Amino acid sequence: MFSLFQKKYNNPALLEKIRETQERWFTFLGKLEARMEEMSTAAIPELRDLFNQDNDPYKRAHGHMLQGLLGQINQMRHKANEAREENIFCFVSAAEATLPAITSNAGQEYHNALYAFRMACSDRYHLFDEKLNHHITLLQKAAGEQDLEAIYREELTIFENIRDKFSCKQCGGNITIPQMFFIATYVNCPFCKTQNTFMPSTGAQLVLHQARSLAEQRTAHLLHAYEESVPKNETLYKQYLRAMFDEWNKIVPDMAGENEKFYQRLLNDHLINKLK
Amino acid sequence: MSQEENKRTLTYLERLKQKAATQENYGGEVVKEDAKMKVRDCPECGAGRAYQHGLTACAYCGFVFMDVKLTDGVHIKKENNS
Repeated sequence: MFSLFQKKYNNPALLEKIRETQERWFTFLGKLEARMEEMSTAAIPELRDLFNQDNDPYKRAHGHMLQGLLGQINQMRHKANEAREENIFCFVSAAEATLPAITSNAGQEYHNALYAFRMACSDRYHLFDEKLNHHITLLQKAAGEQDLEAIYREELTIFENIRDKFSCKQCGGNITIPQMFFIATYVNCPFCKTQNTFMPSTGAQLVLHQARSLAEQRTAHLLHAYEESVPKNETLYKQYLRAMFDEWNKIVPDMAGENEKFYQRLLNDHLINKLK
Repeated sequence: MSQEENKRTLTYLERLKQKAATQENYGGEVVKEDAKMKVRDCPECGAGRAYQHGLTACAYCGFVFMDVKLTDGVHIKKENNS
């Protein structure tokens, strides 16, 4: 009977190695997190600053910087993934291979220790991953949104001021532009009936480009209400989508027919994703 | 965080910001243009294109402005064919 106890598998070195690896893994992730925290805290005011300075209508300089920062964060994710693969998973598999069967008493103890180690490391990794996603959201939302409503109102005023100021290139008669156009269009001269080509200003053309974003900004509270509802209330989503498209059509009435098809598609897509 | 590491982040951020701000965009700067009116009159006889005569050919001398057949678009309709 004593000889049985003597034969019992004993490997304190492995336990020590497990403890050490876990400690190293926790410190490693802690360092990555500190670095991430430091970078995003320093970057957020800079991002906002660049967004406000950026004269480009698409805010591309801000976009470049944001991409650079997100690249850094993804690099950290990549590093953590690699380290997890090498130092946790490979280590666990290699150690398991040397242990006695899990059904034996001693084997079970060590398998349990390995299992606990693996779970602790994974949980720590998930915490890290959550923080990483949190920082990504912070960076993406750092600059806020462009005040599209103000830009749109300004374009409307500009258009009201210039709509009577054009004359027919053929006969010189005054032409009043009948409505706000966002793309080049033919306008009839009321005197000689010549078809003049009216080319809207760059600002007016951008309204078409920003119309959906503006409509989304106007109806953001409805989307928020849907996202806050628990469980998700489909009626609220339909209300939001309808209101968003109504606003969109108000801004660009010419596209109402096409937008209606798009509305149906988005609604269907939403229902399909819901059923999954 | 040590002083040195803090400095490293700052210089990295400054470099990134500067690079983002000075990087040339694909397609160049956006040039803001004012709204304008143009007309395409007939190069043969100088007549304008009137709505009721269509857009594809000159109603006076028959000069062909475009070979394509117009279809319904946002502002141009298929009735605009000459």
